[in-house]
Amino acid sequence: MIDVVDLVKHYRASDGGIVRAVDGVSLSVSPGEMVGLLGANGAGKTTTLRVLATLLKPTSGGATVAGHDVATDPVGVRRALGYVSATTGVPDRLAPREILATYGSMHGFDGSALRERIDVLLDVLGLAGVADRPCGRLSSGQRQRVSLGRALVHDPPALVLDEPTSALDVIGSRDLMAFLDRLRAEGRAILVSTHRLHEIERRCDRFVIIDAGRIVAQGTREQLGAGREGGLEDAFFAAIGPGAVP
Amino acid sequence: MNDAPPVPGRWQAVRAIARRDLLEFVRDRRTLFVTLLMPMAMYPVLALSSLLSVRSSLDDPGAARPPSRLVLAVSGADALPLVAWVRSLPDTVESRAGWPEQLEIEAVAFDAADRMRREGSVDAWIEAPRGTIAGLDATGTVSLEVQLPDVEEVGSRARDHVTAVLRGLADDARRRRMGAAGLPESVLEPVAFTFSGGTAAPGGLSLRGVVPIAAGAVLVLLALLMATGAFYPAIDAIAGEKERGTIETLLMAPCSPGDLVLGKFLAVLAVTLATLAANVVSIALTMTVLLRFMPAHAALGLDAGTVAAAVVVALPAFVGLAAVAAAMSLAVTAASKSVKEAQNTLTPVILLVSGLAGAALLPGLGSSPWVAAVPFTGQVAVTRSVLFEADDPSPRRVGRADEDGRDGSLPLVPLAITLVSSALVSWLLLRATALVVTDEEILFRGPDAVTSGWSRPMPRARPTAWQGFGAALAGFAALWYVQGIAPADLARAILVQQAVAILLPLALLAWWQRVDASTTFALRWPAPDAARGLVATGAAALAGGGLFFLGAAALLAARGTGMSPEAEALSRRLFGFMRDTPPWQAALLVSVVPALVEETFFRGWILTAFAGRSSPPGRRAFANVAQAALFALFHMLPERMPQTFALGLLLGWLTIRSRSLLPAVVGHAVHNAMPLALVAWAGDAAFDAELVSPLSAALPTEIVAAAAVAFAAGLGAFVGATAESAGSPRPR
Repeated sequence: MIDVVDLVKHYRASDGGIVRAVDGVSLSVSPGEMVGLLGANGAGKTTTLRVLATLLKPTSGGATVAGHDVATDPVGVRRALGYVSATTGVPDRLAPREILATYGSMHGFDGSALRERIDVLLDVLGLAGVADRPCGRLSSGQRQRVSLGRALVHDPPALVLDEPTSALDVIGSRDLMAFLDRLRAEGRAILVSTHRLHEIERRCDRFVIIDAGRIVAQGTREQLGAGREGGLEDAFFAAIGPGAVP
Repeated sequence: MNDAPPVPGRWQAVRAIARRDLLEFVRDRRTLFVTLLMPMAMYPVLALSSLLSVRSSLDDPGAARPPSRLVLAVSGADALPLVAWVRSLPDTVESRAGWPEQLEIEAVAFDAADRMRREGSVDAWIEAPRGTIAGLDATGTVSLEVQLPDVEEVGSRARDHVTAVLRGLADDARRRRMGAAGLPESVLEPVAFTFSGGTAAPGGLSLRGVVPIAAGAVLVLLALLMATGAFYPAIDAIAGEKERGTIETLLMAPCSPGDLVLGKFLAVLAVTLATLAANVVSIALTMTVLLRFMPAHAALGLDAGTVAAAVVVALPAFVGLAAVAAAMSLAVTAASKSVKEAQNTLTPVILLVSGLAGAALLPGLGSSPWVAAVPFTGQVAVTRSVLFEADDPSPRRVGRADEDGRDGSLPLVPLAITLVSSALVSWLLLRATALVVTDEEILFRGPDAVTSGWSRPMPRARPTAWQGFGAALAGFAALWYVQGIAPADLARAILVQQAVAILLPLALLAWWQRVDASTTFALRWPAPDAARGLVATGAAALAGGGLFFLGAAALLAARGTGMSPEAEALSRRLFGFMRDTPPWQAALLVSVVPALVEETFFRGWILTAFAGRSSPPGRRAFANVAQAALFALFHMLPERMPQTFALGLLLGWLTIRSRSLLPAVVGHAVHNAMPLALVAWAGDAAFDAELVSPLSAALPTEIVAAAAVAFAAGLGAFVGATAESAGSPRPR
């Protein structure tokens, strides 16, 4: 469902130099699979996910979502993908129902089909009670659920989440991850990046560890040796090398 | 998961974005204040202060100051009969200018009069010796001395009043003399006349001098409020989205960046149109109130038909301006990362456009059709032209020619030019916005990039689009200032202009930004091999030369031989220079130097900056149009702009296609050399006193036909010679 092949993305830094943010990354996520993308700050996780979300163009290599190429068919990718990141906010002056209606309309829903879709999402996300309250008056957890609803309003088969729990408390994080389990069970392909290894350690089917723009390890929890005492955290540090250990 | 969602239509996404943004705008108190409250409050405040000023200065002068009064002392043997005579003067003399509203005249003794004068208790003292009355009744001239107090202020006022009184006395004495001589009084009044008609009541006051200024100020204010109406929505629409972190979700919408920007534009436009509506309502209501309380005899000088015609013209013109204001505000704020940054960027632009609007009130500007095409200036000028004659505050009478035969019809052609210009400018600005919104560097640049403007960057291949724009601005500023230091001698003036206005900013920028000269200035051979490179260069020369004559023929067809004084003066200077300068030197200064310097600047730096790396055809076309427009503006004279714009387009296309600056340099040089060739061909006939230039007489059909053939052949040969260059990958 999500296929990344030899993806390269270079930036120009503010001083005019070139930054190799992603340098030959290849990965795939199948339907009904949740893959965790792990890496330190600046490792290239967000850049990889932004290329998948068609917000950045690859320098070379490529990626497809549900068969749509991110470079040549970005609109097709957007119709097949839901994207949520820690930095994606919601408009303070709009209510959850209005936000979902806007994005639903953009994706071609209208009339009773749109209203039904919105009601289902609000119910599933636990937002029915605040559906008409401006987002500026919602909690962080509620706002993040609105953001997730916005990403799901067009019922995409693939979902990409970049640090989705970084602004949430423990309860909010647990609820969100439980919801992701449900989405995976529905057959969606999910690629999620996070710093909170314990949150995804037992939820993801596979992990991809990235460092300095390159994949340094990937596989199931067992394949990465995370079954030992230190768990996924030790496996992560082992993969990115001793220099990263504090 | 359910079945695949429906495929959205393009307009469905655009509508959804517009509706979403509009919902946000109307829930923002700042937007509501600027859109509705400010116009509704501003015009009444301005009108109230104007009304008070007009009423106090024009309406009731009697109530504004104390009545004028003259205390006159008369001494001497004939004092009593003189006082009696003055008191019995007929009422008609009291309408004389300067006549006091209260006149107190008394006969007093000499000493008393002198004392009263010194004390200041009288305004004037007249000594009437014996024989004064007899002298007035005789045929001679009676000399009277009027002594005034030593206080300067009182003396000045009293002098006017005494003069009026004594002239009244002289008029009456003249009538008595005529009667004594048996002549009718009509001998003294060979002409009698009265005034009738006019809008002002007799003795009333006209506001004709004030109305054009006030109307112009209202139109400028309206244009300015259009821009401020778009201010907050535009900032909120893009910079606000970035600040809130919602821009990424919008860019994930299943539509193109152009559609996204179009949706936002429609929302900002709706708010700007609401501002226009609020302004129109406020102006109409304010005018109603103003007219009700205006002094009855104060004449505006505008009839209802003319005002209605002005509204008919102003509404579409200012709707176009609302589109320009909305698109401009979006384009200017598109690169801003935060609301504060956007405010800092947009505020000076608002000040700049208010200057453009104000420029429409300058004498002489309103009569030029080119003015109608300039955003903000054009809308004000076109509307004002309905109300008043150009360069003359006289109100127009729309619908009929006046006594002088001046046409009173609506300015439909300038209105059409304004509307077309508004649409074109808005479209270009929206295209630019779409490019900027999706620019990865701008979209995801961190705060460090914002503050690193003064740090010299690492070496890079080419300048950014903003550096191209900055270079153009620096060039324009330098071009303006160089006019003040340019020598009178044309040869040296050309060199100074090219060096200071173009080379200096270019060299500074290129050095500071550490761009790669080869990439930025397209320093490469235009074709894979020498032969095809030569063909391409020769073809560019043909096209450039042909374009000169085609442009000249088009200009003659459009304007005839008439030229503005500025263009005529420049033509005379240029042709005089070409006649008096050795050909090699003239060719160097008119053709080679400008071609080298201007191509390095416009088709080198600016076009490369605007086009960017491996840009899509749409952006390259936009870059070409933008640099050609700047190139045309750089040549300043409106008559030359269409030709220089076309030349800029051609040279830009040559550079984009061949990825080499050489064809553009050669094409430009040959284009500029054509007047020299023409002078050589026409000989002394070119400098006939009646001819401003050889072209002003006529352009033979065979020359135009040959130019068209050369132009077409040049383009064809160039396309053939550069087929491989056009298809090869663009350098990074």
